Amino acid sequence: MQTYNTDVCVIAGGPAGLAAAISAAERGAEVILLEKANTTGGAGNMGMGPLGIGSRLAKGAMADLDAEKAFRIFMDYTHWRVDARLVRAYLEKSGDTIHWLEDMGVRFDSVAKYFPSSQATWHIVKPESGKPGPRAASAMFKAMTDRAVELGVKILYETPAVSLEKSDKGYINAVLAKDSAGNDVRVECLAAIIATGGFGDNPQMIKDRIGYEWGKDLFSFRIPGVVGDGIKMAMDVGAESTDVNIEMTVNSPGLADAGISPSLWVQPKTLVLNNRCERIMNEELLENTTFAGNAVSIQNSRVAYSIVDSRVVDYYTKNGFDVVSLVHSYGLENFEQQAKQARANGFDNLYMADTVEELAAQMGLDEDAFKAAFDEYNTGCRDKEDYFYKHGKHLMALEKAPFYAVRLHPSGYGTLGGIKINYKTEVLSKENKPIEGLYAAGTDACSIFGVSYVFVLPGNTMGFALNSGRIAGESAAAYVFEEE
Amino acid sequence: MIITIDGKEISVNGEQTVLEAALAANIYIPNLCTHPALPVQAGCKLCVVEIDGRPVQACETAAHDGMCVTTKSDDISRRRNVAMELMLAGHPQDCTSCKVYLKCELQALMQYMGTVHSRLRTVQRETNSIPSVKNPLILREMERCVQCGRCVRACENLRGVGAIGYAKHGGETYIGTESNAGLAEAGCRFCGACIEVCPTGALQDEEGVLSQEIAKHEALVPCQVECPAKIDISEYLRLINEGKYSQAHAVVREKAPFPHTLGYICNHRCEDGCKRGKLNSSISIRNVKRYAVENDSDMMWLDAAMAPLGAKSGKKVAVIGSGPCGLTAALYLQKKGHDVTVHEKLPVAGGQLVTGIPEYRLPLEHVQKEIDFIKSVGVEIKTNSNIDSVTRLKEGYDAVLVAIGASQGKKLSMEGSNLEGAYAALDLLRDVRLGLPVDVGQTVNIIGGGNVAFDCARTLLRMGRKVNIICLEKGEAIPADAEEIEEGINEGVVLYDGTATVQIESENGVITGHRIADVDDTSTERMIPCDSIVFAVGQGTGLTPEFGIDINDQGHPTSDKSDHTTSVDGVFAAGDVMTGTRFVIEAIAAGREVAKEIDRYLGGDGCIDETLSPRAAKEPKIGKIDGFAEMTRVASHVHTCDEATREAGRCLQCDLRRDIGPVKLWTEYTAN
Repeated sequence: MQTYNTDVCVIAGGPAGLAAAISAAERGAEVILLEKANTTGGAGNMGMGPLGIGSRLAKGAMADLDAEKAFRIFMDYTHWRVDARLVRAYLEKSGDTIHWLEDMGVRFDSVAKYFPSSQATWHIVKPESGKPGPRAASAMFKAMTDRAVELGVKILYETPAVSLEKSDKGYINAVLAKDSAGNDVRVECLAAIIATGGFGDNPQMIKDRIGYEWGKDLFSFRIPGVVGDGIKMAMDVGAESTDVNIEMTVNSPGLADAGISPSLWVQPKTLVLNNRCERIMNEELLENTTFAGNAVSIQNSRVAYSIVDSRVVDYYTKNGFDVVSLVHSYGLENFEQQAKQARANGFDNLYMADTVEELAAQMGLDEDAFKAAFDEYNTGCRDKEDYFYKHGKHLMALEKAPFYAVRLHPSGYGTLGGIKINYKTEVLSKENKPIEGLYAAGTDACSIFGVSYVFVLPGNTMGFALNSGRIAGESAAAYVFEEE
Repeated sequence: MIITIDGKEISVNGEQTVLEAALAANIYIPNLCTHPALPVQAGCKLCVVEIDGRPVQACETAAHDGMCVTTKSDDISRRRNVAMELMLAGHPQDCTSCKVYLKCELQALMQYMGTVHSRLRTVQRETNSIPSVKNPLILREMERCVQCGRCVRACENLRGVGAIGYAKHGGETYIGTESNAGLAEAGCRFCGACIEVCPTGALQDEEGVLSQEIAKHEALVPCQVECPAKIDISEYLRLINEGKYSQAHAVVREKAPFPHTLGYICNHRCEDGCKRGKLNSSISIRNVKRYAVENDSDMMWLDAAMAPLGAKSGKKVAVIGSGPCGLTAALYLQKKGHDVTVHEKLPVAGGQLVTGIPEYRLPLEHVQKEIDFIKSVGVEIKTNSNIDSVTRLKEGYDAVLVAIGASQGKKLSMEGSNLEGAYAALDLLRDVRLGLPVDVGQTVNIIGGGNVAFDCARTLLRMGRKVNIICLEKGEAIPADAEEIEEGINEGVVLYDGTATVQIESENGVITGHRIADVDDTSTERMIPCDSIVFAVGQGTGLTPEFGIDINDQGHPTSDKSDHTTSVDGVFAAGDVMTGTRFVIEAIAAGREVAKEIDRYLGGDGCIDETLSPRAAKEPKIGKIDGFAEMTRVASHVHTCDEATREAGRCLQCDLRRDIGPVKLWTEYTAN
């Protein structure tokens, strides 16, 4: 068996793990990082950047949000049902973390909102090719990996950790792993930091712990390999668990792959009905994909439909979207053609018909009820008086064929929470005492959002991962030097 | 010769390209279409470098003495970024629905180069919507293809198959088969080389084909994953295909000293794992193995198999029980230099192989020959040696292995179960095998639905008895192998499935009948006349606390550790005695594991690996075979050399993929 000896062993090299490894190494600790994949960044590679409060860039962009204001927003949103010390520690650090990343060579393009009613906290990574686009954050992990290696962090790729070893006295003294050939690897260490990113790719665990059936009433992202390793390891050594949640969004599965603009369906000029043909929300709120996901998830069969007519399509083609996405850049040119092509290719989440009745039939909904809902909505549009108080400028009656609809399902970026930590990221036992030498960071331990993702401060998940990782690295290094 | 890369002098052998030389010197140059196992294509243009101020592609430029190479400059970055953006423009923007996320070279290159989709307009390829004929093994998501052409070169140059190539449609080039036929029709041999070299998610193993739970290197060969003894199955199938039966036999022997036995009765989980099973039907692995063993005329492995695996240790080991687990452990421990004595309570060695499995399923002479080999290596087998206390035995040995199996037949505790003519199945099988008188009447009712029940039934049929089987399970839930059930019924077994025993009827101490009822309906109670009852309802170890090791309620040895230790230092236990009734191949695998542990306990290194058939480099070029995908499984047994060649030739040779190896990503180059 291959055996290593080190101060700190970091389990997984996503945003949290890399931040932890770097910050521990910056403080002089010897660090080994165990990574399941053959490159770093984990689920973070799908993102565009982290939250930062009060960074130079944010101040330069005249953002007036400081940590205090962000903290108030955060705690109001979560009704103080989350660990306020941990929230404060994270938000206070987040601005400096942006500078810390810039010192590593990460460049940020801008500070953005995710949607109009959110705050400008999202620090978009600037790619080498200039203009940011989807997955821009992946370049950040290259810079972080380079810094980690420069600081002497030893990264063992394709070597997933399997379990933790606790001494008789109750402190963590080794991490056991498997290398790519299936051989056992043992990393003896003074401290271990768990950062494996939750269990978004473990449908069974999602069903057991959150109650959704993936592929049936949930279509969340499944980053391969994110199967709950860290949470299981922590539970095996007696850690206390927390409530877990899906980081809820709304999605029409396969839309982007089918070449259809995902943005159209979350615009305020759509009509959203459930499968009983009842209106479910003010479509202006669709821009907050968490709110939209929440609204859909309490409907019959956890499904809803976003509907437009050709007038809305024409309007957005000509004027651009009301809510512009930084993530999806698909346009509406040749929309009718694209829709026909997608349907011809067998994409069945998209409906298209020349009459409202045909559309209802295609969707398998009651034609009369559907027609009635349409009529009610259209009457409200003409009278500028909407059931859910939608603003007059978004009240555009749906009358022009062809009509289009997509099926919306709850989706999500992944899971949140699982391991109970304190504001120093120390993992707590059932007795609420720190398990010596054990830390957790990132989504494995992210229970600060409570029941619903705090999307009003965008970049939150990656922000928490980086900052909790940084805190974990610092705490672990301090613990290691105390022990020595 | 010496070349200079970014001011650093490196020595290069005469054959290398600039790209190879740089990578060998731990200097990373991004590259995508290049693959170490494939000829150079120079298509992706990512590996552009400057030589004498001119941009060239490092993959196609031969290194020569005194060359001066620059790998980083603004101009190089610009060129690489454009090349990358062109590839990304036709690739989906959304990674999150892709199953190779984080196993994707394109994604790693995006990290390294910091290039994203953004500047160039998205290209919607019309050829993406050409419907592809699905197959059960290779998933094609061609919208993820960046047309690096690695798969084409793998299929054509590396494998010599040429099932896929470049095609054109309406001004677009895409990768596909001739006339967009399915892979099977195009002559694909489903070796998976194209998947292995694909740098994106365009080509993937279909979901469920390879286990995600274990390391990929292992998972690539599912038959071996399933085999408890981890026999190198693809290697011996290849040897059988080449007519090298002795070498094939040797390969099996490297992991299991009972190849001939296994050729008869192995439950062949390898065949469940076999990828070909998903395509049409699995290779008849057990049967071709048996053919190879039976046609091994020169026993090329004999000398190597006799050779010790370590110096004499002077340590003595006792093995209690001479079943497949005990004898396997005895063999390897003897070879590791220890003196091994096997104690067998019966007059014959072999355990369940000779007393539990009927002659018609496994001829005794074959087992005997395999046991004789183990003896010839030096293992002493004492028959008629019943050990009832390990404490006493331990005094004479440095280590003891308890491998007594689960050989005690159980009866249901009900009235009549101890009457004359009421047998436990294992006792009946054993007595028949040993030629002892068996006191069963003319009509025998067997209670139980496992393989042992059918073994008893078919044994009794061969003795001229009428046999009924009464089992609780119904239809497909019956635990015995489907083959056993079918053959049993064909031979005349009358099966009452979904049926429970209510009572054994007797008069004056003589069994007269068997009262039964449907499991789900007691009103169906009825009587079947019979004069004997056989209980095939499970087996126990027969261990008692007096034996001298801690046991649990089920009679299995217990220990704090997960390995094969017991409550007494130096006493180990393995096989059915630990696990309850399992299959022979599992007993053999357990015998190997415990041999390693005991060797380590005695101060050895615990290594029992041996190569009895030296491996030649595998031929990667498998060529095209017409109608390969449709070739059907051999009907039943393999009778001729032609049949063996053909059946073994159906193998997809999944293990060849292990020779391709992964491409090193930027993460593995530390000199940057």
